[in-house]
Amino acid sequence: MPWFLHLALRQLFPPGKRFPAFATVSILGVGLGVASLLIVQTVMNGFGEEHRLRIRESFGDCQVTGAAPIERPEALAKQLAASPEVASASPYAEGPALARNGDFSGIAQVRGIDPTDPAQPARKYVYGGSFDELDDGRIILGAGLARALRVRIGDRIEIWSPAMAERAEKGKAPLPAEFEVCAVIVTGFTEVDNAAALIPLRRFREIWNLGPRAHGLTLRLKQPALAEATAGRLAVGHPELRFRPWQDIKKDFLAAIRFEKTMLFFLMFIITLVASFSIGSTLFSAVIRRSREVGVLASLGAARWQIVALFGLQGLLIGALGTLLGFVLTWTILACRDGILGMINRLFGGGDMVANIYLFSKVPLHYDATDFVIASAFTLLTTAIAGLVPALWAAGRKPSEAMRDA
Amino acid sequence: MPDVVLQARGLTKAFAAPAGPLPVLTDVSLEIFAGDSVSIRGSSGSGKTTLLQLLGGLDQPDSGEVLILAPDTSLVAPHSSLGRGVGFVFQNYQLMPELTALENVALAARIAGVPSEAATAEARSLLTQVGLGARLEHLPSKLSGGECQRVAIARALVNRPSVILADEPTGNLDERTGAEIMDLLLGVVAERGAALILVTHSREFAERATRRFVLSGGVLTPA
Ligand SMILES: Nc1ncnc2c1ncn2[C@@H]1O[C@H](COP(=O)(O)OP(=O)(O)OP(=O)(O)O)[C@@H](O)[C@H]1O
Ligand SMILES: [Mg+2]
Repeated sequence: MPWFLHLALRQLFPPGKRFPAFATVSILGVGLGVASLLIVQTVMNGFGEEHRLRIRESFGDCQVTGAAPIERPEALAKQLAASPEVASASPYAEGPALARNGDFSGIAQVRGIDPTDPAQPARKYVYGGSFDELDDGRIILGAGLARALRVRIGDRIEIWSPAMAERAEKGKAPLPAEFEVCAVIVTGFTEVDNAAALIPLRRFREIWNLGPRAHGLTLRLKQPALAEATAGRLAVGHPELRFRPWQDIKKDFLAAIRFEKTMLFFLMFIITLVASFSIGSTLFSAVIRRSREVGVLASLGAARWQIVALFGLQGLLIGALGTLLGFVLTWTILACRDGILGMINRLFGGGDMVANIYLFSKVPLHYDATDFVIASAFTLLTTAIAGLVPALWAAGRKPSEAMRDA
Repeated sequence: MPDVVLQARGLTKAFAAPAGPLPVLTDVSLEIFAGDSVSIRGSSGSGKTTLLQLLGGLDQPDSGEVLILAPDTSLVAPHSSLGRGVGFVFQNYQLMPELTALENVALAARIAGVPSEAATAEARSLLTQVGLGARLEHLPSKLSGGECQRVAIARALVNRPSVILADEPTGNLDERTGAEIMDLLLGVVAERGAALILVTHSREFAERATRRFVLSGGVLTPA
């Protein structure tokens, strides 16, 4: 160990002192800054991941559509599913319709799905009733739509499709399709929950006069994160079709999540910056207090860079130990997050916000190594600078004058 | 004729003051030989500390030149052989408060580039020599003034400099301890073959040096 590192450690953690006040307080300050930064980033990542999962589950990993309805969707699905990158492909059809329950009505975004598909994502979001009861006479509604129509599970509603207007034009009496509500879903996406209506694809084709056609295909991919590249590859050979990866479907929303995360990073980084400033000022006063020692070191032949290293290392050591403490604090606090949240709810009331607003049962987390690397790099940089400024000042002094200081 | 270990020629030094430059040293020349002990007396503010700082290379003279016998036996400017050509002993010891006696002495050797183990071994033997063999692990705050000055003397000697510059080494000590330190200083320095330049207010201590000077009016005159 070079002598200046040894001396730096001794000055930070003086022997014979049970409580190295300066080091403890500084490390704690940096640790809290790093922890708040990482906690916010990790929770933001968690929400982001949760949202991304919901987008994928609501819209599929990749949507395949054409200028006109797809003529033989089952064949196309089979062909696409044969690609090694595709986990499954299923046709869908969707369109707006008028949903009515006596005096109450609402716009329903009706979607025809395969009720026998065991991986159908809507199964996850069933809030009441049963997905498996879905058949040609039954319908699943988004919770908001069900509320607007004042219906509960077991109640009946009418669906008026645009195809019925066509019938009326031809002079035939338009008869609405009748359904019994068999389940209610809640996805957390207001626009989905306020309009979604799921019926079997077969029934949808009847009501919309689609015949064997479908509006598009929903693909589930083996590697959803790479959907953009995969969509590009799948599109080759299908110039008439449009392959839309999930990242593209909810582009603005995803960008907003990312932007929010970046903004929070900078806001939280200010805490670390403040901690670094206080380290800087404390180190400055320590350097001034040690003026004579700096002079003595010079008289013993210490080089300037070694004196810079002596004090600069103290800033860096505080930064490194503070960062480590920050990691530990982050992990500990996040591991106890439900207890902490419960306490906040008990203290300030407001009920279980996570469950009520975000519809997640737990505060979601997603540890991302990049966040940790960036947070450590920024923290080490600022604390190193905080140590370096007083160190350069100390090393720049004439030893004869430094030694005259009281 | 013994070797010259320190040579100062025509040193001048003035400090900036509000009323114009304040001359402290006007023309100081001095030649020190191996094994010499030299005392310098002078009233407070006469420039004794300033002179020692110029001789040791902690400050530069306005004009004139200092040469020191470096360990590789050539005469060099003192600031280029700081910590090796000369060793300092200060009135208020100037030990690192966070290091033990042993570490304080070893630090000087390590700064000079001696590997850690050799530095510690040399420090231990020097501390034993100055009578602190039982105080190696003590922090300066747990040592008496006289003991601190012994550590400082060991530290000044650890790199085998050719000259020891001592600035009022007994100034903070009572009469008896001061006499003990002076005995020790003269003894060890002679034993190691180094020369000693001693700044002191005490006529009695000054008398013990082989050559005696008085600094007054910016010039050094033999007493
Ligand atoms: N850095 C400086 N700037 C301005 N004046 C200085 C500086 N250093 C020393 N002086 C002046 O130089 C003069 C000599 O100072 P020095 O410390 O060498 O005296 P000294 O002989 O060692 O005194 P003492 O016996 O009290 O220690 C003093 O008048 C002091 O005010
Ligand atoms: Mg003085």
